[in-house]
Amino acid sequence: MELFLQQCVNALQWGSFYALIALGYTLVYGVLRLINFAHGDIFMVGAYIAFFVSTALLAPGLGLSREWTLALTIPLTMILTSLVGVTLERIAYRPLMRKGAHRLYVVVTALMCGLVLENGNLALLGASRKTLPQLLEKNVYDFGGIAVTNLKLWVIFAAALVFLVLHFVVTKTRIGMAMRAVSWDKFALPLMGIPLDSVIVFTFTLGSGVAGLGGMLFAMSYPVLEPYMGAMTGWKAFIAAVVGGIGDIRGAFVGGFLLAFVEIMVAAFLPSTFRDLFAFSILLLILWRRPTGIFGKPQTTKI
Amino acid sequence: MLRVTNLKAAYGKIEALHGISFHVEKGEIVTLIGANGAGKSTTLKALMRLPPPESAVVTAGDIEFDGVSILGVSAHNVVSDLKMTLVPEGRHIFGNLTVMENLQLAAWSRKDKGAAKDIDRIFDIFPRLAERAKQHSDTLSGGEQQMLAVGRALMTKCSVLLLDEPSMGLAPLIMYDMFRTLKKLNADGLTIVVVEQNARLALEVADRAYVLDTGEIIAEGPAGDLLQKPEIRAAYLGA
Ligand SMILES: Nc1ncnc2c1ncn2[C@@H]1O[C@H](COP(=O)(O)OP(=O)(O)O)[C@@H](O)[C@H]1O
Ligand SMILES: [Mg+2]
Repeated sequence: MELFLQQCVNALQWGSFYALIALGYTLVYGVLRLINFAHGDIFMVGAYIAFFVSTALLAPGLGLSREWTLALTIPLTMILTSLVGVTLERIAYRPLMRKGAHRLYVVVTALMCGLVLENGNLALLGASRKTLPQLLEKNVYDFGGIAVTNLKLWVIFAAALVFLVLHFVVTKTRIGMAMRAVSWDKFALPLMGIPLDSVIVFTFTLGSGVAGLGGMLFAMSYPVLEPYMGAMTGWKAFIAAVVGGIGDIRGAFVGGFLLAFVEIMVAAFLPSTFRDLFAFSILLLILWRRPTGIFGKPQTTKI
Repeated sequence: MLRVTNLKAAYGKIEALHGISFHVEKGEIVTLIGANGAGKSTTLKALMRLPPPESAVVTAGDIEFDGVSILGVSAHNVVSDLKMTLVPEGRHIFGNLTVMENLQLAAWSRKDKGAAKDIDRIFDIFPRLAERAKQHSDTLSGGEQQMLAVGRALMTKCSVLLLDEPSMGLAPLIMYDMFRTLKKLNADGLTIVVVEQNARLALEVADRAYVLDTGEIIAEGPAGDLLQKPEIRAAYLGA
């Protein structure tokens, strides 16, 4: 029982990473019907940005304390990562969509952008792995035999907070209303006097900012960075988003936590080589029963 | 107020408008009639400066608003700065938003504080919308959706309203109601350009009319005169 609860905590942590990435897939898909396959690599870029920002802030020149570094690295990572996401939209996707290119070409472009980010990173920084400085003093709490680190609690808390904020933005604010409107009908938006591009840029900003936060928290949990760290995690988060019902932010969370739960439980109680086989078989079964995902509604509103 | 001169517009390599000219004066109701595929929607979308691929690209000629060319203006600025908007063919309401949200969203670019009051005014014009304010708008009937599309356009506080086939798919009674409402709005100062396949109805409410045929204007004049012309009657009024 204790082992099970312990694994639940781990699943919540991994689910938080998946959810933070899945959100970006789901937001962009909801608004543009575009699967942004570069998104997993945006998560990787976020981890590296966190590395560079925190290293610079801790360096003798500035010499900030660990607490200040952490407090500043979070917003700076989110802002800089969203700039990368917005830049991709601006220079790669927008011109193609403007020309009326078939969605397939935009998706392939996104895939290639992801590869460029991975290999650009490799070329620029070389093969040596970076290590994120420790930003948080590690504390272990004991809840009746279950050991939980403060970092794990922060990761889970951050994911929950992001969910609440995004849910509020999408359902209660004017820009959220515009995002929902675009997901239904892109054509009519300018007729309301609303610049479509601003809504799209806002969507990419949210999605990549949250992925940046995810990348940073991941790097804090597993401090060794490498250029391909976003690839597999990104694919899994994408699958989680689809199983949850792509286009729905609740789906991104439920799908993310579900995938993590299955993965961790299989790895804990069965030979670890079974992990991905079981995880993906279960997701396949869910999609087989509900082709539009858990929260997906056939052919209607997305977001 | 609106002046179009020798306008040519193309979807890719296919030219849909072959140099049309027309004008609209403040306070008028002008109608563009013509068969399916004549280029009516293309004309309205060009006036709104909507981007491709949904809209054609202007290749020659000019569109002036109050004497200034608007070819370089983006669609959302046509709405927010020039105060002109379009009720598009097929209505394009946001079905996943409530009726109320559709109206609120349309007030996006306004700087004045009168949006709430205008929603009340629209509910006065279309009481059916008031009853359905909290409903998702894809649950509305066709007539109600058209009311919402017009109400939403009015929420932008436009002074020029373009309408693309507002009668499409409406039962006759609802259709006459809609045109009576348009006439009333016009009496209150709204300039209206309405595109119709239902030529008789359009000619009855309009001040002036243009007849569009495969991308060219082949007749124009006071609506009452066109209504009497035998060749127009034969081609467009089925009589
Ligand atoms: N999005 C589009 N892409 C390519 N051709 C189009 C498009 N929309 C309309 N057309 C063509 O342009 C011509 C005029 O169309 P349109 O303006 O929609 O006519 P109307 O509104 O008078 O029925 C037609 O030949 C139509 O096939
Ligand atoms: Mg048309």
